[in-house]
Amino acid sequence: MLTAREITETLKTKFDKQIIKAEEKVSNQLFVRVAPDALIPVICFLNKTFSPRFLVNAATDVVQQSGKYVVSYMFSFDREKIFLCIQVAIDAAKPDIDSITPIIAGANWSERETRDLVGINPRNHPDPRRLVLADDWPEGVYPLRKDFPYNYKPPSEPQNKVPLKKPPEGTRVIPIGPFYPVLEEPAYFKLFVDGETIVDCDYRGFYSHRGIEKIGDSKLTYNQICFMAERICGICGFIHSTCYCEAVERAAGIEVPLRAHYIRTIMLELERIHSHLLWLGIAVHIIGFDTLLMQSWRIREPVMWLCEKISGNRKTYGMNLIGGVRRDIPSGIYDEIIRVIEKIERETTEVIDAVMGDTSLHVRLKNVGILTEEVARDICTVGPTARGSNIHIDSRVDHPYAAYDLVDFEVAVETGCDIWARTLVRLRETIEAIKIIKQCLLEMPDGPIMGEVMEEIPSGREAICCVEAPRGEAIHYVQTGEDNRPYRWKVRAPTYANLQCAPYIIKGGQIADVPIIIGSLDPCYSCTERMAVVDVRTGVEKIYTKEEIIKR
Amino acid sequence: MFISKLKQVLICLKAGRVTLPYPYEPSPPPEGFRGKLKVDIDRCTGCAGCANVCPPGAIEVTDIGKDWRRIQFNLTNCISCGRCEEVCPEKAVKLTDKFELSTNTKEDLTVTIEIYMDTCQRCARCFKPEHPLDKMMVTGFRQ
Repeated sequence: MLTAREITETLKTKFDKQIIKAEEKVSNQLFVRVAPDALIPVICFLNKTFSPRFLVNAATDVVQQSGKYVVSYMFSFDREKIFLCIQVAIDAAKPDIDSITPIIAGANWSERETRDLVGINPRNHPDPRRLVLADDWPEGVYPLRKDFPYNYKPPSEPQNKVPLKKPPEGTRVIPIGPFYPVLEEPAYFKLFVDGETIVDCDYRGFYSHRGIEKIGDSKLTYNQICFMAERICGICGFIHSTCYCEAVERAAGIEVPLRAHYIRTIMLELERIHSHLLWLGIAVHIIGFDTLLMQSWRIREPVMWLCEKISGNRKTYGMNLIGGVRRDIPSGIYDEIIRVIEKIERETTEVIDAVMGDTSLHVRLKNVGILTEEVARDICTVGPTARGSNIHIDSRVDHPYAAYDLVDFEVAVETGCDIWARTLVRLRETIEAIKIIKQCLLEMPDGPIMGEVMEEIPSGREAICCVEAPRGEAIHYVQTGEDNRPYRWKVRAPTYANLQCAPYIIKGGQIADVPIIIGSLDPCYSCTERMAVVDVRTGVEKIYTKEEIIKR
Repeated sequence: MFISKLKQVLICLKAGRVTLPYPYEPSPPPEGFRGKLKVDIDRCTGCAGCANVCPPGAIEVTDIGKDWRRIQFNLTNCISCGRCEEVCPEKAVKLTDKFELSTNTKEDLTVTIEIYMDTCQRCARCFKPEHPLDKMMVTGFRQ
């Protein structure tokens, strides 16, 4: 099997001096510093020889230290369990870099985001429109640069408008949003339709930026960010805090006690159960099957109560800190956990058995919203969306974290490529999650739940962590800094990767199917839109209402 | 199709009514619930440890004059994480099981305490005395 050393050797023999530095900073995480003009050849070569999966790119402002910006392109070698981070340092005077989107389509959003937030201009990008920042954000103001104070409010420039795509000839435009009607979240889809058939679509989102990364980089300390990270998502918050904690622990080399790992695993799987049942309810609600919505949410409720009992809160558990967890699961509650999850298993199986033969479901879900394996790979989709298209990825297996390397479970993969396949993946995962929790409770060792954490975490270290959220793979990249706070904290939520395939799966479909097709990705807009400083948000909304009033 | 629908009907009938009668009947949260916080002013020494760890910055510390410190808990910002309870060396902060916090007046969700501190002879700012007994020795303590 390929090792990090072999990857380094191959790159060094092929590119010689253009590889400036290659270092395995954390076990199985290879950081390679490449000369700027060698970026495209290196990525082409990697793509041809190993075809690693692109995760995300992140830009760091190190102008004060070295007068440069560092752009990191993260890749995953799934079978070999290796992270590869290609880093390029570019001059602050001319922050231009070749775009990799023509080679890897999945890098589209993340390059545009880097441009918006740090001001790294991707040359030859096929779609260089603004992505993350608000419409009226002034040009040339980059919030994630270090000279931008976290509480600065730039003046509004209402004349700025992000151009939407021109509709193809002979088509009509149907707007959905900006408040997405089904999921009650802000997103704007502009559908170009010919009759009932959708020809193309355009997406404008990121209406609910909260500037989390900026506050994490500039104001909060390591342990405060755990709670901030948990609030990135309203459904699967615990995965973000786990992912962040693991990334810091890996970077700093902090040993976490085994019991803490098991507790994290149990909480993560409880979260997966309730998230998947929630999704099932919403998905069938979208297609008007409210009986199943009621039943799946009824089944879900005991999990919430259980979490409340374990952690002290229904949803935001607040259990994670750097070095371990804050609350133990007392042995007295084991029986109750088993009782509750067994009841859920029984009831879920019953419901699955009842609805599997429901032909109205088949009509709405089968052969609708087809995401072919090829497109899914190109766009770098993750989680159930990818697994429903026959892609065997699951970071619980590929990049084990918490106690996942110690438990046995099956990765649910379906070959259908349609909404039905994605549904089946999620239902099977729910049942698997119950198995994992049972195993954990059986095997969980006694011992401390908090490891020893040094007074100050050393600066200049970096690490990546992937956590398999119910929606897919969340990625946190942490670079440690002075004053006991991270220098750079980069978050990529799973929907960020998945939502990029929406135009492909909507294309050719019917208007009536759009809500369920988008719903089948289990999108979580608040997750996706966690970054950039938008204190001017209220201002933007006011402007919209004024315009509307004038129109009326 | 027909059998499937029949099964669904059975599941619904079997489940019956599951909603709780809350708010007509109280619904007490389980033990260990993290609700509204309570401060025991007699125990607080004004060390401001809670303010340092508070993730949303809901605890404000201001020195009013050279020997009085005001600590204000803005529960409107509180996320009930319980970090203050965890780090308090005197066990002065406790999370209760109260969760019905909605109110018309913001003052209901603000807890302000003022603590008499020692005065530093060099910078004239207030600080925590080394020993709780030292505090009582300072003139003006019983004001």
